[in-house]
Amino acid sequence: MTGEQSGGPLLAARGVHKVYGSTPALAGADFALHAGEVVAVMGPSGSGKSTLLHCLAGIVTPERGTVHYRGRELSALSDAERSALRRGEFGFVFQFGQLVPELTCTENVALPLRLAGADRKSAERQAREWLERLEVDDVRHHRPGQISGGQGQRVAIARALVATPRVVFADEPTGALDSLNGERVMELLTAAARDTRAAVVLVTHESRVAAYSDREVVVRDGRATDLSGLAGAA
Amino acid sequence: MIRTWLRELGLGVRFAAGGGRSGWARTALTAAGVGVGVAVLLLAASVPTVLDGSEARSDARQPVGVMGEDAAPPGPTTTLMAWSGTTFRDTQILGRLLQADGDREEAVRPPGVAHFPAPGELVVSPALREMLETEGELLSERFRGTEIVGTIGPEGLKGPGEPAYYLGADGLDTDNAWRVTELGMKGGETPLDPALVVLLVVMLSVLLMPIVVFVATAVRFGGERRDRRLAALRLVGADIAMTRRIAAGEVLFASLLGLVVGALLFLVGRELVEGLSISTISVYTADIVPVWWLGAVIVMLVPVIAVAVTLAALRGVAIGPLGVFREGTTRRRRVWWRLLLLAVGVAMLVYFGPDDAASTVNEWGISAGVLLMLCGITALLPWAVERAVTRMRGGPLSWQLATRRLQLNSGMAARAVSGVTVAVAGAVALHMLFAAVETQQRVETGHDTDRAQAVASRLIDEGAELGPFVDRYATAEGVTSALGLVRGWADLDVALDADGNRPGTSFQIGDCRVLRELIEVEACADGDVFVVPSPDREALAPGDRLDLAGPVEASAESAPSWWTVPAAARETHSIPGPHGDQYYGVFATPSALDVSGVPSLSAVALLDTVPGDEDVVEHLRNLAGVQEWNEGVHVLANTRLTSQFATIRNALFVGAVVIMLMIAASMVVSTLEQLRERKRQLSVLVAFGTRRGTLGASVLWQTAVPVGIGLALASAGGTALGVLLLDMVGAEVTDWLAFLPLTAAGLGMILLVTVASLPMLWRMMRPDGLRTE
Repeated sequence: MTGEQSGGPLLAARGVHKVYGSTPALAGADFALHAGEVVAVMGPSGSGKSTLLHCLAGIVTPERGTVHYRGRELSALSDAERSALRRGEFGFVFQFGQLVPELTCTENVALPLRLAGADRKSAERQAREWLERLEVDDVRHHRPGQISGGQGQRVAIARALVATPRVVFADEPTGALDSLNGERVMELLTAAARDTRAAVVLVTHESRVAAYSDREVVVRDGRATDLSGLAGAA
Repeated sequence: MIRTWLRELGLGVRFAAGGGRSGWARTALTAAGVGVGVAVLLLAASVPTVLDGSEARSDARQPVGVMGEDAAPPGPTTTLMAWSGTTFRDTQILGRLLQADGDREEAVRPPGVAHFPAPGELVVSPALREMLETEGELLSERFRGTEIVGTIGPEGLKGPGEPAYYLGADGLDTDNAWRVTELGMKGGETPLDPALVVLLVVMLSVLLMPIVVFVATAVRFGGERRDRRLAALRLVGADIAMTRRIAAGEVLFASLLGLVVGALLFLVGRELVEGLSISTISVYTADIVPVWWLGAVIVMLVPVIAVAVTLAALRGVAIGPLGVFREGTTRRRRVWWRLLLLAVGVAMLVYFGPDDAASTVNEWGISAGVLLMLCGITALLPWAVERAVTRMRGGPLSWQLATRRLQLNSGMAARAVSGVTVAVAGAVALHMLFAAVETQQRVETGHDTDRAQAVASRLIDEGAELGPFVDRYATAEGVTSALGLVRGWADLDVALDADGNRPGTSFQIGDCRVLRELIEVEACADGDVFVVPSPDREALAPGDRLDLAGPVEASAESAPSWWTVPAAARETHSIPGPHGDQYYGVFATPSALDVSGVPSLSAVALLDTVPGDEDVVEHLRNLAGVQEWNEGVHVLANTRLTSQFATIRNALFVGAVVIMLMIAASMVVSTLEQLRERKRQLSVLVAFGTRRGTLGASVLWQTAVPVGIGLALASAGGTALGVLLLDMVGAEVTDWLAFLPLTAAGLGMILLVTVASLPMLWRMMRPDGLRTE
């Protein structure tokens, strides 16, 4: 029985330790995420919030502690299984879009679907729908180098959501944008996530961005504190 | 699963083919690099076909027939053919005299000759026609009295640059010409000297291996950017196996495009080759067809190498969803397997040679040994560069920037120069072998050019013709003195031997100055006679009777011409003449032996010429002409190279130049690519106020350090390889400093690559590089 089915968190981390060289990034962090909620992870630079996100997404394996997604321990999964999770269950939006510069915006958005085995036409049709929804349909034939930063982030959001993931990981998604563009991007991201019932882990150091979340977790010195008093619920 | 794989390969193709301008530029670079390599490999694969074609046409014009009494009877289609030919400067011109026994239109004629030439009519090859037009009278004088009536077609020539002619003649008979019933005799094949075989094998190995390295380097153009792209794919869920298949698809497309480019370059190249002529080597376009199975190997191997190199490169990096992490810096390179390659190569070379008793060589064993040794030297380079750069400290800022960059990733720089290492190591070894074999192959002619510089000879019908013959040459332009000599063969007046032959002896008539050039003479006056015993016969004795017309008498029914060795004849020893030959028999002064009426003799003129004037020889050859089958001029030289060797030397030079240029081009591309990848860092450095000169010097150091180490390694390895090869062919090292010119060429390459990279560097240093979007 998965944690989700039992009413527990979708994603839960317990006592996660991560060290880079001799520098501790996480020192026993706990975290929980429930289906459909938007959680902001906040903290000063170097506090370990991005590392927490990477551990939660299975990109980085912690030295100690556990991360469970729907009851499955991520560190016990093979690279191929974790890749499959990223393909089908997770979506990502980073500070810089992480778009593939060789592909057009439509092709970039269709990429997760194609990697999962969808045929090109249907993948690009779905991609087009998402581009329209995120108001960047006019740049669908452009390559990432030909569009603005704000447009690039919207394309990245479309790509993160096109495969209807259960969790979207967003690491400083507005970090490279002006406030106007940043707010629009956050509106679109949270609205689209709520429409598809995707949970969002939102790493940011800006309170105005965190305001779009349901609750806030602060990471300081490698430990996470749930400001709404819900931390450790897992 | 196959569908999934194909889809992922297809995605890779999509990246390669549809990546916008920069994507296309990268694919085009790889395709161009692979294409150049493929074109050279296809040309190399055509060498057997080229040789076969040339040999087949050479065989097709060989006459089937014999001279003398055994010649076939004349018929309506038989042709008399005599050897003619001449030399202009150092170029041999093939020539044949033709005379039809019956109707010329019916007679056997050489391939490529449309109409049988009448006496005085000349059919020439296009190359000879061009020579006649460009060289002027110095050559055309030789063909005086003839008229060009046709051109020899390609089917009658070894190559388009071969100078040749067929001249219609009269007065030929089976005493001086072959009666040809058909053409197309299989020519006797001269097996190559084992030393030359080794040289050829090494040369091909050395020339082709850098091409393979070049192809392997070319498929890694754009590698860093590709790795970052793969990281982006990992983030959206591609696993490691998927990224490898995508990368394979990407490089597969570029390499297949490279095959197409290579095929096109090959087609263009083979058209251009016909216009090139190196020494006497020239090739018809139609002959340049790759051996089918070699062509198939190239077509199969190039994509396989491309994919294998890419996958091997991916093993050195960890591509994760967050980016690319190079593992090279954390895992030190191991040296043992690199040394093992070298050791096995050395062992094979030692095992497969030297073998003085065998006239053949194990080409495969030697090739494998040479290739393993070169592979070992190349494999040592990344290790040596890594070890060297980790110890580098301090120095000016440009040096610090360069060494820190190399310390971060020395493998890329080492790979870029690996082609140089192979080429230089191979070339050093070849140069040493070349110098030593050249000494071996330089044939000592025995000519003494202090005593005469040329010898003219002519078959004369009677001794009286000697004077005019010698006078003709004595008054030629550039001749300072001429000594005349008549030679002939006489039968001894004794009973026939058991085989029905009559023993005979040669006789030479000339004044005392000439005789002193041929025999040991202390006192000599007109009227003296000397006899020299030959190694296989006792000296003639006074009173022995000779028939000076003996051999001619038997076939021509001429009257005997008796002469008796006088009692005053003195026995002496022969000495080598200026032309290196030693004569035996009778040596008489003109008053002692009158040959004015003796038939069928040889007139010889020993000629002294003005030193340093190359045209003198051509004037002498013009005097001999080409119409007279019985007259020729022989230029004396102390030594001469065998033609086989000269051919190989020419091929080596051309190959080495092509290889060096290709490697320089690949290094420029690699350097430019590195600069492009570091655009942002360069802009930051400029923003800090770093001077142009500092960054330029840092680029120079980044090229110079790995190339310098590569050259040192190549010089040492190449010299060792050269020593082994020389030992194999039983030759002594004659040039221990063979690496110096090649090292200088390598240093020139460093400068060339740096200079070619500077314009891009200056562009990259503009502050707008700081812009991120």
